[in-house]
Amino acid sequence: MQQGSGISRGKAVFKSGKLIKIDAVFNGERIERIKITGDFFLHPEEKIEELENALLGVELKDVEKVTARVLKNAEYVGIDVSSIAKTVEEAWKRRQLITSENTSQ
Amino acid sequence: MELRVIFDGKNKAAWNMALDESLLYHLKEVGPTLRLYGWLPPAVSIGYFQSMEEVNVEKAREMGVDVIRRITGGGAVYHKYELTYSIVMPPPPGKILESYRIIEKGIIEALNMIGVKAEMSGINDIIVEGKKISGNAQTRKYGGLLQHGTLLIDVDVDEMFTLLKVPQEKMRDKIIKSVKERVTSLHNLGKKVNFEELQKFMAEGFAKALNAHLYEENLSQKVLSYAKHLEVNKYATREWNFKR
Repeated sequence: MQQGSGISRGKAVFKSGKLIKIDAVFNGERIERIKITGDFFLHPEEKIEELENALLGVELKDVEKVTARVLKNAEYVGIDVSSIAKTVEEAWKRRQLITSENTSQ
Repeated sequence: MELRVIFDGKNKAAWNMALDESLLYHLKEVGPTLRLYGWLPPAVSIGYFQSMEEVNVEKAREMGVDVIRRITGGGAVYHKYELTYSIVMPPPPGKILESYRIIEKGIIEALNMIGVKAEMSGINDIIVEGKKISGNAQTRKYGGLLQHGTLLIDVDVDEMFTLLKVPQEKMRDKIIKSVKERVTSLHNLGKKVNFEELQKFMAEGFAKALNAHLYEENLSQKVLSYAKHLEVNKYATREWNFKR
């Protein structure tokens, strides 16, 4: 069952020669938890944890903007701002409700 | 450039990754260094960004294969029938991604000396006759550059895939077939080069590509002690290897 509200979890994979895998928990359209894994390259590497932290509490519509800000001076292969945003959106579309309780205030 | 070369043996995964990082950490003191090494027991290394869920950890344990997370990005690698190099040096000017290629030229030169015509493919692969023979990955830390990579002496894709999970089990045979078509090795190319011979070719290849003068010198106690610290407190820990 998929709804706009409630806690849900979604996973998606983006293929572009390399893989980007998103595993996220959403509260409505807001990111509660997110893990971005894959065989891409990102310099400096620690940007990935910075990005995962920066995306917490972010609405789907703002994912691209926040990602662009965090990755501004990074160099990367097999991953980029729009593919991350698209994959997060895909994960949201594929989400499964894990509780019907909407904890957002 | 003066380039120290270390003809290392085959070591445990945690030590290999710890020594690579220690060499990078001490670059300013010890200078550019090329280390040529192997893995014993064999190991699966995963890229910094990968999840350890990519690896069949239980099977690896059964087979006595180490599993480890690298400090560098890229994909999972099965280190058994291969030679691994690591090089630490000051970063050349320009983009990080361009510098991958400067170093990969060393492998192409080494292969050329063996009579194998190789070329770069994408940012981090080296191919022969369209098939991958070498994968490479780089990081920048402590003001230096570390790049490491592998050159396949032989390859057993079936064995590799007993250690790697696939997204859909029903696709396993198809994936293995596809990888077999895309990967080659020195043995597959009819080149019977052993580990020690390949170490020499690689050293010469890097010397030529980087216009470097090679010299051999043992590692300092400081580098080894810090590597020991990293081995125990980072690379052998569940916290690091399962962090993503």
